[in-house]
Amino acid sequence: MTHPLRSRPGDVAAGGVPRSGRPEPTAAPSGRTGGPRRRRTWTWPSAGAFAVFVLPTLTVFTAMVLAPILWTLYIGMTDERATRPNTSFVGLDNYGFLLGDEEFRHSLWNTVVITVIVVLLTNLLGLAIALLLRRQGRLYSLLRGVYFTPVILSAVVVSVIGRAILADDGLLNSTLVSLGVKSPPGWLTDPSYAIYSVSGIMVWQLLGFAVVVYLAGLAGIPAELDEAASLDGAGPWQQFRAITWPMLAPALTINTVMLMISAFKVYDQIAVLTNGGPGTDGTATVAFEVIRTAFSEQRPGVASAMAGIMLVVVSIASVTTLKLLQRREVNL
Amino acid sequence: MGKRANWVAMAAALGLVGLTGCAVGGGSEGGDGNSSGGDVTLSLLTFETPNLTASYWDDIIARTSAKVPGVKIKKLVAPSAEQRNEYARQLDSTGALPDIMVAIDPAGLAEGGKLAQFSKKELADWVSPTANSFNGKIYQLPTNSQTWQIYYRKAAFEKAGITTPPKKWDDLLAAVGKLKAAGIKPFVIGGGAPDGLGPRWTFSQLVADEVYAKDPKWLDKLVEGKTDFSDPLFVNAATKMKALAGKENVDNLSATYAQAQEAFLAGKGAMYPMGSWFPAAPDKAQQKQIGVFPMPTQDGSLVVPTYTGGGLSVGAKSPHVAKAKKWAIEFSKLNADGGARYDGLFVALKGYKPPSGLPPLYNTTLDLYNRAQSSGTVTPSFGNEGGVPALPSGFIPKVDAALNDLLNGRADVGKFVATLNKQFKELSK
Repeated sequence: MTHPLRSRPGDVAAGGVPRSGRPEPTAAPSGRTGGPRRRRTWTWPSAGAFAVFVLPTLTVFTAMVLAPILWTLYIGMTDERATRPNTSFVGLDNYGFLLGDEEFRHSLWNTVVITVIVVLLTNLLGLAIALLLRRQGRLYSLLRGVYFTPVILSAVVVSVIGRAILADDGLLNSTLVSLGVKSPPGWLTDPSYAIYSVSGIMVWQLLGFAVVVYLAGLAGIPAELDEAASLDGAGPWQQFRAITWPMLAPALTINTVMLMISAFKVYDQIAVLTNGGPGTDGTATVAFEVIRTAFSEQRPGVASAMAGIMLVVVSIASVTTLKLLQRREVNL
Repeated sequence: MGKRANWVAMAAALGLVGLTGCAVGGGSEGGDGNSSGGDVTLSLLTFETPNLTASYWDDIIARTSAKVPGVKIKKLVAPSAEQRNEYARQLDSTGALPDIMVAIDPAGLAEGGKLAQFSKKELADWVSPTANSFNGKIYQLPTNSQTWQIYYRKAAFEKAGITTPPKKWDDLLAAVGKLKAAGIKPFVIGGGAPDGLGPRWTFSQLVADEVYAKDPKWLDKLVEGKTDFSDPLFVNAATKMKALAGKENVDNLSATYAQAQEAFLAGKGAMYPMGSWFPAAPDKAQQKQIGVFPMPTQDGSLVVPTYTGGGLSVGAKSPHVAKAKKWAIEFSKLNADGGARYDGLFVALKGYKPPSGLPPLYNTTLDLYNRAQSSGTVTPSFGNEGGVPALPSGFIPKVDAALNDLLNGRADVGKFVATLNKQFKELSK
């Protein structure tokens, strides 16, 4: 019986020595042109190994991820309401309704705006701060901790702090008034500012994560490369452009995808800072609308269809971004 | 193979343990490790406000549990007073609807069979045992009545030259003008997230006079599709709301409920349209500085919007419905004095006599309510009608958002009405 984890013929380690340590067997004549081919054999793992190594994970994944997704998609094709005794299958009606619904499209737009701001600004600031904090010393260690603190706080706590700063009579406006500004903006109460205020709070919370990922990336860049470039007369900007930035490609990929997913599913900050407002054209995101529609309006059918649309959008955006950034990594 | 089989069995067992560990639910039979033998643990969903603090709840829970042996309460607190209904429904969707809930709107949960029905015998001690009726069935103890009116700072009125509280609509507008001329913000009403229900508590007073006092069956007509929000009665109420509480007349429309109350008590505005629970908030000195009057009406008649209900509900799927009901009823009776003193409740128990030494504002507000009852001018309160017919689930937050637009100048009355019509139609489907 072939164990799936054991080495197989053709599995050659660096230097041409088989990983098994045994001589590589001679390939059987293939009868085809083009010389001998290495035979790749693959067998189904034994039932026992499958049960021990795969089945528990598969069971948990199916129960916790796959089944809820499929169930949600199914509910999205019904007219289920908590107050209605009978539920009917309505096909894609909910999806059709949502795509034509101004309120849902507004929440989709809000989600995209928040995501773009969070991904761009957090990456930019995270990289800048990581470059400043890459030095050794107690002060830098302390500052790294300071920047990371919002990441470990709950989104609700961060939002409550953000609210204290951005409320109409909060810290920011009080400062502006003391500086002579007569009518400071309603950061959370004016629809033209609120979405940016919420995004700003998210950037603040996620910044520490981006900094840590970039610091890890910077730590992996050999110092010799910068020294060699310096000896060749490259300035700081040239070093950054030719060495640091390309070498940070994996960190950029991780940050971008993680930030994008965090921003797409934002709910807590909206609930605490604006509760979807101000007013009707407020800051409601798709995730916020899903919760509100499901629980406040008691329309699980429509809410599940929203979640279905969100799943498709997030999947497409994540996979596309991942592919593009990974291709960039390979090309570098 | 024997060893392999053992590994497989162990993996399967661990998987099952992991899965069952994720299950959630309401009460349990001594399940939390803190209960003594035979005790049941019941979950109780509460919410906190400036009046109903954590220590208030802890105290009444302890006193009730002492009277109902064998019950241990696990307190759950909703994220905010406004979000408590949504929170209860979130818990319900995960199969964890609490065993007992305080002042949760039964609409939706009742029709969905999620709440236990109270029997006539269980309701026998209350004054209005049929309040909040769902086709004759009662899912919430009718423990108290609440009214809405305007509290005002006497000193601000004096400074503006207002000698008596206004009775007619035009008098109120004149008072607003005088206050502004004296450099005083006429109103504090709040309206900021996540507790932005202040504007509705003003609006419900206008709807009481313009809509419910003139057409007591207006909600029935609305639900039956015989009228909508463009009804001239409702438009009148909306027009008055915009004229009265536009942002130029209000201290801070982004203040939360708690911040607004704090601002009014700190003297930041002259009038505070609020529920009858407010009298519990001012201290002894402030009680003397604050007065109360009903929302002025077009002709000066007395109209007071009222809600009776607001008590505890019990989850129908609770493993201990009988004990939960017993605890809820005992709580409601024990909480009567505390509810009156600390939350300004008008207790609706038969033969109930409020304790002595209640805040003066409580008595003045209760007097308004009693006068309205005597004159037959008590109306439902918009957004707190209770029972059926009812506004659809999720509609009230839409009203709050639309009011926010109206008061901040982002919508005129026409747009406000159109928004409500659209949302009502959609949510009523």
